[in-house]
Amino acid sequence: MNVSRAAVRACGLVRTHGEGQSRVRAVDEVDLEVPEGQMLAVMGPSGCGKSTLLHLLGGLERPTDGQVWVAGRRIDTLSERALARMRRRSVGFVFQAFHLMEELSASENVELPALLAGRSRRQARRRAGLLLERVGLADRARHLPSQLSGGQRQRVAVARALVNDPLVVLADEPTGNLDTAATLDVLRIFEELRTAGQTFVIVTHDERVAATADRLVSMRDGMFVDDTRLAGSTTTGLGGLGGLIGLEG
Amino acid sequence: MQDAVLAMLAKEPTHGYDLRARLRHSLGPLGGSMNPGQIYVTLSRLEKAGLVVCERADGLPERPERKVYALTPAGQQRVAAWLAEVGWPKPDLAEFHLKLAAAAAARLADPVELVAAQRRELLRRLREAQRAALAEPAGPGAGLLLEGVVLRLQADLRWLDACERAWSSLDDEIEGG
Amino acid sequence: MGSIVLVARLVLADVRRHQAQAAMLLLAVTVATATMALGLSLRSVSEALYEQTRTATAGPDLVALSGETGPAVTSALTELAGSPGVAAHHGPYRIVYADLTTRDATSSRVVVHGFAEKPAAVNRPLVTSGQWIRPGGTVLERGFATALHVGVGDRVTIAGRPYPVVGIAVTAATSIYPGASQIGPYGGPSDYSGLAWMTRSDARALASSHDLPVTLAVDLELRDPAATQAFRDAHHDSTVRINFRSWQFTAQQDLAMLKGSRPILVVGSWLLSFLAITGVAALAAGRAVQQTRRAGLLKAVGAGPGLIATVLLTEYLALALAGDALGLLVARLTAPAIASPTASRIGDAAGPTGATVVTATVLAVAVAVLSTLRPTLRAMRTATVTALTATPHQPRHRPHLTALSALLPTPLLLGLRLTARRPGRALLQACSTATTVIAIVALLTMHAQQERGYGLNGSPVLPNLRGEHDRRLMLAVAILLIALAVVNTITFTWTTAVEARANMAIARTLGATPGQVSAGLSIAQLLPGLPGAVLGVPLGSGLLSLFAARNAVEAPSSWLLAAVLATLLATAALTALPARLAARRPVARALSAETA
Repeated sequence: MNVSRAAVRACGLVRTHGEGQSRVRAVDEVDLEVPEGQMLAVMGPSGCGKSTLLHLLGGLERPTDGQVWVAGRRIDTLSERALARMRRRSVGFVFQAFHLMEELSASENVELPALLAGRSRRQARRRAGLLLERVGLADRARHLPSQLSGGQRQRVAVARALVNDPLVVLADEPTGNLDTAATLDVLRIFEELRTAGQTFVIVTHDERVAATADRLVSMRDGMFVDDTRLAGSTTTGLGGLGGLIGLEG
Repeated sequence: MQDAVLAMLAKEPTHGYDLRARLRHSLGPLGGSMNPGQIYVTLSRLEKAGLVVCERADGLPERPERKVYALTPAGQQRVAAWLAEVGWPKPDLAEFHLKLAAAAAARLADPVELVAAQRRELLRRLREAQRAALAEPAGPGAGLLLEGVVLRLQADLRWLDACERAWSSLDDEIEGG
Repeated sequence: MGSIVLVARLVLADVRRHQAQAAMLLLAVTVATATMALGLSLRSVSEALYEQTRTATAGPDLVALSGETGPAVTSALTELAGSPGVAAHHGPYRIVYADLTTRDATSSRVVVHGFAEKPAAVNRPLVTSGQWIRPGGTVLERGFATALHVGVGDRVTIAGRPYPVVGIAVTAATSIYPGASQIGPYGGPSDYSGLAWMTRSDARALASSHDLPVTLAVDLELRDPAATQAFRDAHHDSTVRINFRSWQFTAQQDLAMLKGSRPILVVGSWLLSFLAITGVAALAAGRAVQQTRRAGLLKAVGAGPGLIATVLLTEYLALALAGDALGLLVARLTAPAIASPTASRIGDAAGPTGATVVTATVLAVAVAVLSTLRPTLRAMRTATVTALTATPHQPRHRPHLTALSALLPTPLLLGLRLTARRPGRALLQACSTATTVIAIVALLTMHAQQERGYGLNGSPVLPNLRGEHDRRLMLAVAILLIALAVVNTITFTWTTAVEARANMAIARTLGATPGQVSAGLSIAQLLPGLPGAVLGVPLGSGLLSLFAARNAVEAPSSWLLAAVLATLLATAALTALPARLAARRPVARALSAETA
């Protein structure tokens, strides 16, 4: 297996919560490889372990058993400090609850990871400006999160995830708190990024979000039950949709 | 299709190729599935039914592109009736439902597998529609139509989830009992 | 009625759930009120002790001292004793000025009173151990004996002659040790000296053998003990100079020993109350946020956020009053020891005066009310519905500070932003640090003072009891202040960590290391601590100069600098533990707790 081409790889991944009788295997013997440039969606009902999987891949939690590689480097054995450094360089997070710092403006929120990664204030500001423009919020850079709509906040969060050019973006229910229009805005940005070759792992229970991905993994009770390639393999193409709109009459 | 073509003529008499261009514009990426001759087949059927009349444009050689189509009074009545109609095309869920039941009864195939396969197919279609929808600008254009397709597919996928749960719990009972 | 039961039940449940907080409030109030009550009751306790000693020893209302000897003096004193208005008298008797050396070579000045072997009607020293004087044996005044570490059976040398100590006694005729001499030889200035008694003949022999200076004295009991001034005015004799010492004057002299103690205790109690308020207010603020969740439940039974405020206020008031009672008790028990730094007085202190009780109670109530003021006001202002959805108050956007912090290394960046989130708490932390430094500056300055010992010629063989007493009191107050400041710092750090939990978890997901986060939390406390510590030095010096003697010296600036640095280092060390604990929380759990 060519490890270097995989942005994220997991092998025999197990994560249990609780002790004794109440011990739950949130993630149960999962093997996964996400090549660079792939957008992977993980779907499943709530409590199936998909968020835990995402935390394990980003080094926010440690596996009970098994190994995780990010950018070809094994991370489950790293110290907390090394994990933090790894996150700065290689991982961008997007959360359902946005998790923006309420007392910082949109631009300041986006700058923060760049500053943590040791970039100068000027560099951080320029980068934040570019990314906010890319997510269509150049005119909202000085707004506080409380002055933004949910969709705008999530777009700020996406810009923040991208500020250090991460190898992979890990998104946990990125549209879970958004209405349809805001969901479309976020998906449009994801689609652009995917076209540009950004690697993604998105955990979702929204079919629309999952359908943006190149590949879809379904999870039940901590295990993968299905792995579907969605990209470039439709039997009928868009024409197959004709039936749905009654064009074949 | 016939009703839609009639309604488009209600504004003013139009050339066949104009009609086709307008249809394609409204359908966006989905218009690609329309075959080029389909509009003329439809127009000639409507003409036979006495709903449209065909006039030739002045001073020009006899070429099909130069025919201008207009509504007859009967055609106008039909358009008005179509607009007032509230019928709604139904997707045929019954067929798939019966397919699962038959497959299970005759042990032809595992219904859960059938659901999974169907799900994969719908997801791929959803991906295509979604991608097309995201490429369209917002507004009452073809994007809106694609949005309808996406939402329908989403509803179908949720129904497939329900199918999967029901059939796999049946499996569990059989295995367990 | 029902609502009282409900409030009582909620208060009890609350105290049970937050035992550590309740204990902290109780202790803080106890310490503050005890210190305050002590400071306020010093005068009355000292007066009470004098009064009891006076009753027990038939203390004279007036002592007449001549400063010299001779027939004219003797007759003048005898005449005085026989004058109308005098109910009883003792003397004239000799007062011999001599030196006393113990077996371990401790030397001190001493005044020897030549007394009869049988007690007189006035000035009957009370023997607390051993016997009263006999020929060849001496009795030492108790405060003096204690300072010398001499007991019954020991031998002392007075003016070169050895005497066995046959007894220890107290008297109200002279001021407490080391003020026994009342006037110096030949009516000159007096020096620190102790008091010893001998038989009349022994005293005469002692005086004549070494040609020691002698003063004659007579103890008078007046028909009207209060009329000492009138009696003095009436017997102003121009031929023989006679010095009068009234019992009121002697009682006042006792207080001179406590001149430094009172401000230490009273100002100390203000500082302690201030620290108690800041610490308890931080806890109450943290609690109030928690309690908004309970508001929903209470609303279901028909109560609003006003009830929450009532519960909080009632609880704190009850605890503060309990602390007040405890503090008054502590003050009552320790007052005799603190109001009487020498062993020259006997008796027990009476309970604190009404004024002291009222002042201490006002202090306790103020601590409770001031520390719950903000949450209470907020709860009262907020409508029920808003309170139900209330989130902790949102920090303000500070673009300039944020921009400034962006130039700094990560721990400073996080620390500065954390400080900016809660400016009120930063102020409290600064004040808390300043208070600590004030206490340390006071302690250092008092240790830097040069003072005369009570030994011969100011020798420090016999320590200056007044200075010792002040330093010991200051040390106790400083320890209490520092202990409260330590608790405050830990509380502030922990509250900051809990409130910033979500933000710090976000920073962790963005690549901040646990070390950076915990350093940031520590720095958030250190940043306001720095100006606090620096300001504490002039504040402490200024506060001291209000009460200091004219010849007071300041502590070396190297000491003060070291104190500031030590305070900051200690703050850093204290914040490190809670900060580390908070930073080590798993990120994923902190994030999901936030969404839940």
